[in-house]
Amino acid sequence: MDYLATKYLRSRKIPSSACSGCGLGQCHKALVKAIDDLGYERNDIIWGTSIGCAGRQTFATWKGDSFAGTHGRVYAIARGLRLALAPEKRLVLTVGDGDAFGIGFNHLLHAVRTNAQMTVMVCDNLGYQSTGGQYGWTTPPGVVTDSSPYGMFEPNWVQPGRDVLMILKEAGATFLARHVSMDGGVLVETLRKALRNNGFSLVHVVYPCTTNFGKNALGSRKPVDIFRWIKSHAKPLGLEKEDTIWRTGIYLDASNSRPEFSQFMREKVEEIRRRHGNEGAH
Amino acid sequence: MTAETQRDKPGKTDETMKRYLETGNFAVAQAAVMAGCRAFCGYPITPATEIAEAMSKLLPRVGGYYVQAEDETAAMHLAIGASLGGMKSMTATSGPGFILYADPYGWAIGCEVPLVVLNAQRVGPVSGITGAPGQGEFYLSRYVTQGGNFETIVLAPGTAQEAFALTIEAFYLSERFRTPVTILADQLITDGWEDLSIPETEEEKRLMGLKFFERRAHPGPKFYPPTDEIDVPPVVLGMGAGALCSDWTPTEEGYDIETVEAQHKHAYRLIYKIRNHKDIIMRSETLFLDEEPDLVVVAYGTPSRVVKTAVKRAHERGQSIGMIRPISLWPFPEELFKSRATYLSVELNYDGQMVREIQRAAPCGSEVHFFGKCGELPTVSELQEVFDKLLKGEPLQRRGWETEAW
Repeated sequence: MDYLATKYLRSRKIPSSACSGCGLGQCHKALVKAIDDLGYERNDIIWGTSIGCAGRQTFATWKGDSFAGTHGRVYAIARGLRLALAPEKRLVLTVGDGDAFGIGFNHLLHAVRTNAQMTVMVCDNLGYQSTGGQYGWTTPPGVVTDSSPYGMFEPNWVQPGRDVLMILKEAGATFLARHVSMDGGVLVETLRKALRNNGFSLVHVVYPCTTNFGKNALGSRKPVDIFRWIKSHAKPLGLEKEDTIWRTGIYLDASNSRPEFSQFMREKVEEIRRRHGNEGAH
Repeated sequence: MTAETQRDKPGKTDETMKRYLETGNFAVAQAAVMAGCRAFCGYPITPATEIAEAMSKLLPRVGGYYVQAEDETAAMHLAIGASLGGMKSMTATSGPGFILYADPYGWAIGCEVPLVVLNAQRVGPVSGITGAPGQGEFYLSRYVTQGGNFETIVLAPGTAQEAFALTIEAFYLSERFRTPVTILADQLITDGWEDLSIPETEEEKRLMGLKFFERRAHPGPKFYPPTDEIDVPPVVLGMGAGALCSDWTPTEEGYDIETVEAQHKHAYRLIYKIRNHKDIIMRSETLFLDEEPDLVVVAYGTPSRVVKTAVKRAHERGQSIGMIRPISLWPFPEELFKSRATYLSVELNYDGQMVREIQRAAPCGSEVHFFGKCGELPTVSELQEVFDKLLKGEPLQRRGWETEAW
């Protein structure tokens, strides 16, 4: 184990149960590195996860407290938890694309609306892979999956003019970014910024699934093929080419510009208590 | 032994207590705050909206939070989150919202999260009649989520006063048993205006028989003991215990695991922590059972009040009749169904949900009959007519959907 794993992760969960060649480890490691760079200790962070590949493989890896919500509900649990936690504690969530942009989208939007502090890393393997490989809300057009045998022909949520990050921006998020898992130091730098925001941050990270996506979409389970394919279709914002699918970089940094959910709740309750606390129970 | 027995019937009052003419909704909100609830997460729905409204007013005054959620699924998950952070929390709804609780109920039961849920039953299915009382969630409150392998605790108040006492009891039990406790009320209990006494001093609380239990936090590392023990502190996040909780079958430490052995340990705990301590939960009211009556009428919630009047009158007239009113509804109080008799279940539904449980609990040779109304209460004269027929051994004639759907 490297020093990051020794310091922050439970040995019982290393190596992870992810498939050989899975890119989730790159996402996970980048986030732990960013946490370490900012000097957080294990008890400073409460780590929540969803279900699916991203949720299951990262649950209970963190040495501190860790919880996993059912399909799509982790944002609602996290928002309730945020109210009860000490203000200095930080909530970090690692979730999948189906969880965040599908089944949990309504709850995600309301966490965004209230600017509840949580750093959400959406680990996107381009569809529902833990159930065998069905298309999702970020599956690129034309891609063959088990449930799009004639190619994905529905609109997705990463296309220009219909970008999920723009919805989240309008809904009130204060930090938004997109990367691919091979972005390395650039991804870690973005995650550091996301963690510094006392509000709602979301970093969307595309990572390779060799077992299902690679096999179905590219006809290959060789990690090198899908790693290359993802990297070749990702370009930094402003440097897009015709075949660019993922424009990477920071889409919005309005960190610490709006009151955080639990902060304004605490302040308001304190104010009401001062004004009405002696008026009795009715 | 008196003819009328009340096994720990909650809510004794005396004349010195502060009295109100108020609704059950008011009573529940007052009780929740008194029990230490500091987070209420809800979604507006008739006839439980006034609980949310009352909590939005009361909670900030005592440093607590009211959160209005995007839907009922979120409401109960928010309440779970607050409880996981160490706050006593609550949510309240009616049928169409209660069905959306199925998802968070599973999570809260599995992770053993203390929580109080109130369901003001109305007429269904689906939206049905919004402003009228029903009793359609008798079984749903038992089997609140998928997957099985758990027991639930459900309390059914019959008056606003009892709703007050049982709300405090629900918080008490939820902490001791580490599980969501459901208060199964109905529209008349929550919306109805009644004489209500609220205790203010510790002595008054004691007189009323109220019990309180403070939130504790499990120190770890064995958060999920494979035993039936109660009074195990719940998981609280943010305390540095390295706590784990998830929707997967847990090891004793809370790691996700998929083995039959681990699942068996988990299921054993979720079932037997409740079954083996049922005596702490059991509450009921009975009339004339010691006379071994020929006819025993069974009802819970609002209709039990009319039934009680009708049974007392019939008894005065010399009929061999008694009554069982379960106050703790689940686990079902089968201990009360000891004698071979003719049983009559009176419910606010047309499908006779409690009939099956009575059939299961009653000794061989007993008969179980049904009288159902929906959206309105039965009348004393209607009940008397049914009693007369049953006591004469005559078959009940079907009138619309009301009698003998069975």
